[in-house]
Amino acid sequence: MAGENQHPDMTPTRRASSAEPFASSNRRSVLRTPASQARGLPRLQGLSASGRKVAPPTATPHARAAFRTIDSRRAAIFTPHRARRKSLREVRDSPRDFLLSLGRVLARNTEVITTSSSSSPGEGDKGPGSDGAGNDATLGSINVDDEDDDEELPKRPRLSLPIDEEDEDDSDDLQPHRSVLIDDDNNFTMQSIEMPRRAYSEQPMNRFSMGSVRMSDYFDTHDMLHSEDVGIDSGFFPPTVALDETNITMGLEELPSPERLDSEGNRPDLGRESDFKIEIPVGDVNESTFLMAPQVADSPDRSPVANGEPMYDDYAPLLDQRSDNYDDEDLLGGVPALEDEPVEAPAEHLHDEAELESATMKGAERRGPTKKSIKVSKYGIEYPSLPSAVVKRLAQNFAKASGAKGKITPDAMKAIMQASDWFFEQLGEDLQAYAKHAGRKTIDESDVLTLMKRQRQINPNTTPFALAQRHLPRELLQELRMTPPAIPKRRRKAKGGAEDEDIT
Amino acid sequence: MPGQKLYPRATVKKIVKAHSNCNVSKNADVMMFLDYMLFMQTLMKEATIEAKQGGERGITARSVKKVTADSLAKFRG
Repeated sequence: MAGENQHPDMTPTRRASSAEPFASSNRRSVLRTPASQARGLPRLQGLSASGRKVAPPTATPHARAAFRTIDSRRAAIFTPHRARRKSLREVRDSPRDFLLSLGRVLARNTEVITTSSSSSPGEGDKGPGSDGAGNDATLGSINVDDEDDDEELPKRPRLSLPIDEEDEDDSDDLQPHRSVLIDDDNNFTMQSIEMPRRAYSEQPMNRFSMGSVRMSDYFDTHDMLHSEDVGIDSGFFPPTVALDETNITMGLEELPSPERLDSEGNRPDLGRESDFKIEIPVGDVNESTFLMAPQVADSPDRSPVANGEPMYDDYAPLLDQRSDNYDDEDLLGGVPALEDEPVEAPAEHLHDEAELESATMKGAERRGPTKKSIKVSKYGIEYPSLPSAVVKRLAQNFAKASGAKGKITPDAMKAIMQASDWFFEQLGEDLQAYAKHAGRKTIDESDVLTLMKRQRQINPNTTPFALAQRHLPRELLQELRMTPPAIPKRRRKAKGGAEDEDIT
Repeated sequence: MPGQKLYPRATVKKIVKAHSNCNVSKNADVMMFLDYMLFMQTLMKEATIEAKQGGERGITARSVKKVTADSLAKFRG
């Protein structure tokens, strides 16, 4: 059964093994020939006898290997269980075989004796006779022996052959076989234990790369069950890893989204999630708001704000529009104390009323528009951002002008809004610096002009009025005309240039 | 021409006022808005170029974000 399967594997290994020990292998082959003749003859007497007698002296490694394979096949044919026994004995005899091969190499005279002795108990009559005849000189005697063997073969081979073959084959084959067997054993053991583990480990690798956040997301009630199942693995890996693996396996088995929903109930138990989602106690339903919060906010302060917003109805009379619009970033920017109170209070309310989905939804809706509209600068002054319609119109115009195709996606629009916010922040700081440097508390047009010069938007070739002519609507140009008389001169020059540019 | 409508002058004024903690003189906001328009122009130009280089269709958030820092640096006073 298994032996037949092994045969193909054995052949290459034999070659390798035979190639290594030359002298010893030659001797072995010489010694073996009689025995193998005894076995092999029944089918091909002349060939086998002549071939073997010829082969050992020439004894190229491949030839030897070929002979061995033939012998082993025959032996396998005659003795079906031989391979099995062999496999067992190989393991047992391995050290002894080493010694045998060693002995053959070191002490050549003794080798013959040892081999003959090994063969003799099995083959009894043949072994010694054949070995004695093994000297190439007497062909006839060998032939006789072979004939005798042919008669005997059906009876004896099971007793004699395996022993003889094993000694010979094992000496050649064993080393490779052992290695193969060991490898197989290792593989099997490895597989039996680690196959599942690898599966786990491979998956987590991907997941880890995806981000640690997910692991927390996947944390489940099922984890306990799985961790118990995988008890072996848990011993090898640090407990956290094992948990993660189990989580992930869960994630693979089931769809992630439902688990996350389920897992939210568990989250409060975990330290990590608390950092991200303080609002969680609000309830499973409020996920939409949760998702919103982490994106917008870095600080934990926001979450109460987010939750609190739905409650503004109560406080609306008390507070300005601004306070209603009060935002996460406001907290960061430093908010007047008045506004903090209402925010905190509603947050508490929310925790009480958290269960209402509708309320949170409203809150989310309100928060969206309000956030965009109002922020607080570093001086604690609230400011609106430009209306997105204006920004979008500008962006689209300039995009078309610069040859972009298609529309500006909402995401891109967000990015543009962000960029414009930053721009105005930068602009305000720069203008303030100029104004203060000039000893003023008011930002003047001259400041803006200096700034634009510094920005290299204005240079001798492009006057501010050229730019204004190009970009600003007439109403605004008229506003500019109100400016002191020195500038209009420039503007007139610029006008011509600007018109030219417009045409082009 | 970018628009027949007036831009929200008061808004621009408020924004700059908030950021600078300074008053803004009467017509300075027009120039500020002009500056802003120039900024937008460069931003969109750069974003378009970036998008084309990235093989994207139209202007995307990625291209805009990539270009924002550079454009802002250009308009640093």
